[in-house]
Amino acid sequence: MSKPNLQSLFVLGCSHHETPLEVRERLALSPDKIPALLQELRECRDFSESLVLSTCNRLEIYVHARNENAQHSIREILCRSLNIKNELLVAHAYRLHNLSAIQHAFSLAAGLDSQILGETEILGQMKQALATAQEFENTGSILNRLFEKSFQTAKIVRTQTGIDKGQVSIGNIAADLAKRIFGKLQNSRVLLIGSGEVGQRTAQALRNRGVQQLAVSSRTTQNAEHLAAQLDADHLPFEQIHKSLEQFDIVISSTAAPGLILRHEDFRAARRVRPAQPFFLIDLAMPRDLDPSLNKLENCYLYNLDDLAAIANENLARRNAECEQAHVLLNAQAWQLWLQLRRRSFMPIEKNQNV
Amino acid sequence: MLETLDLSDRSVYLAATILYGLSACLGLYGILRSKPYPRMGLLPLVSVAFLIQTLALNLRGASVGGCPLGNPFEVAQFISWSAVLLYFIVGPVCQLRLLGFFTASFSALLGLTATLFTAWDQPYPAGRFGGEPWIELHAALAIFSYGVLTILALVSAMFLLQQHGLKRKHHRGIYALLPSVQQLDTIAWRLLITGTICLSAALVFGALFWFDNPDRVPLFKLSMTGIVWFGYLMVVLLRLRKKLVTRRHAYATITLFILALLSLWPVQTARQPGATPNQPEQQIP
Repeated sequence: MSKPNLQSLFVLGCSHHETPLEVRERLALSPDKIPALLQELRECRDFSESLVLSTCNRLEIYVHARNENAQHSIREILCRSLNIKNELLVAHAYRLHNLSAIQHAFSLAAGLDSQILGETEILGQMKQALATAQEFENTGSILNRLFEKSFQTAKIVRTQTGIDKGQVSIGNIAADLAKRIFGKLQNSRVLLIGSGEVGQRTAQALRNRGVQQLAVSSRTTQNAEHLAAQLDADHLPFEQIHKSLEQFDIVISSTAAPGLILRHEDFRAARRVRPAQPFFLIDLAMPRDLDPSLNKLENCYLYNLDDLAAIANENLARRNAECEQAHVLLNAQAWQLWLQLRRRSFMPIEKNQNV
Repeated sequence: MLETLDLSDRSVYLAATILYGLSACLGLYGILRSKPYPRMGLLPLVSVAFLIQTLALNLRGASVGGCPLGNPFEVAQFISWSAVLLYFIVGPVCQLRLLGFFTASFSALLGLTATLFTAWDQPYPAGRFGGEPWIELHAALAIFSYGVLTILALVSAMFLLQQHGLKRKHHRGIYALLPSVQQLDTIAWRLLITGTICLSAALVFGALFWFDNPDRVPLFKLSMTGIVWFGYLMVVLLRLRKKLVTRRHAYATITLFILALLSLWPVQTARQPGATPNQPEQQIP
C-alpha cells in the first residue's frame, strides 16, 4: 500500500473496538475541554479544517491536513490536551486517510461501528460535533460536506436496510410490545413494583413513548419514594397494590422477593372490573414475581426477562445479517463523495489509491 | 369511449379481481420480506381495482335495468365493492395498517370464487327491482351493511392474529405491522354498531315492502335475514353488558359474518323461481 498523500482528509481516533476500557477512560475528553481543543486545532497551521467527535465509546479528530506534519501535530495537541503520553496514542489510536476516512465516517453515522449495532444516538452526537466545530469556525467545505453526506448516507442505509429495525434493549422492547397492545401510550397507566435497575429503565422507556401516569411501589417505602421522585411518579404503598391493580394497564415488576408477589387470582379479580381492557405484565425479576399462568388469562399479556431477552437477541442477529448490504451501500456513497472531492480539486489524486 | 370497447361485464369483473389479487400479493410480499409495508403501492392498485369493479357493476346494472343484486355472483361482487368502499373510509379515518391488504385479499378471494362458480351467475328477469323503490333501498342498504360487517370480520381476524402473536411471543413479520389489540377492539365495536344499524334500517325498509306484498317475500328468506340480524343484535347487547368482549367478541362477529354469507345462497334461491330469465351478460357494441 502506498504512503497516503498527507495533504488530505485524515482521522485519528480510538474506539471501543480496539481500545480497552482503562485506556478509553484516560482518553475521555470532557465536553468543557472540547472548545479549548478546537481552538488549538484551529490555530495549528498544519490543518485547514478540524473537528472533534467525543462520545462515551470513542474519541476521533477529523482534519483536512495541509502538510505532512499534520499527524504529528494532532498527536501532540491531543497529548497536551489530555495530559497523556504519545506512546499511548501510538499503541491504541487508529489512523485513516481519504477514502478510508470517508467510509469510516459514513459507517459511523449509520451506526455500523457502534457498540449496539444500528443505534441512532451516534448520528445526534455527530451532528452536535459538527455544530460545535462550525461554531468555532473549525470546519470548511470539506468536513462540512463529509459530515452532511454522512448524515444523508445514514438515512439511505437505514431506509434501505433493516440495520436499525427491531429494538435491542429490554426497555425499548417492552415499550414496543406495549404499543402493540395499547397503541398510543398517553392514556396508559403504569405501575412499577420494585426498584430494580432494568425496571427503572423500562419505566423510563415507557415514559419516553408518552406514558403520563406512572406509580411506583416497593417493599421498602423509602426506596419507593426516592424512585417516585426520580421518575416524577406517584407513590403507591406496597400493601395496596393487590387492591389497586384494576387502575393500571401496564405492571412492571422487578423486586428481589423470593416468591410470587402477584398471582392469578389477583388479576382475575381486577379483570372482572375491566374485562375489555388489556393488561400488559412485565416480569423482570429473578426469581419471578408474577404467576406464569397469568399469560393464560384472557386479555393478559405476560412477558418475563427471558422472553424479552429472546426478542433482543433475535433483533440483534437480524441487524447483523443486514450489515453486509449496509456496507455495500455506504461504500458506493463514499466512493461517489471521494470522486466529487477529487474532481473539485479538494483532494490531490493519490497514486495507487487503495479503494 | 366505452362503446368502442368489446368487453363483457364479466371480463371487467375479472380484471378487478386480478387487480385485487395483485394488491394482496404486493402486501404479502412486503410482509414476508420484512420490508417497509408498501402502502403507497397498494393503495393505488386497490383504487384502480375499485374503479374497474364500479364500472363492471355499472355495466351489469345497465343490462339488468336496476341495481345488480339478482344472483349470488352479483351479490358477491357488490359485497366486495362495498367492503372496499368502507376500507377507503375506515382505513384513513382509523389509521388501520394492513386493512388494505386484508380487504384486497378478501375481495380477490370472493371475486375469484364468484368467477369460478359459473352457476352463481344465473340469468334473471331484467328490471327485477324496477318500480319498487323500497326494495331497491332495502337491497342497497343490506349490501352496504354487509360491507360494514365484512370489514368488521376482517378487523376481528386482525385482532385475533395480533392477540395470538402477543400470547405466543411472536414479534416479527405481520405481527409487527398489525395495529394494537386495543385499537382493533375499539374499531370492531364501532363497526358492529354501524353495521347493525344499517342492517336494521335495511330490514325496516324491507318490512315496508313485505307489509304491502306478503306473498312476494318467501318465509325462508325472511327467517334467514331475521336470524342474522338477531345474531348481530345479541352480540351488541352482550357487548354492552360486557359479557362478550375481546376474543369472544371477535369469534362471534366472524362466525356471524360466515353465517350471513352462507345465508345469501338460500335467500337468493328462494327468489321468484317462475320469472322469465334474461341474459345479464351483455356485450357493449
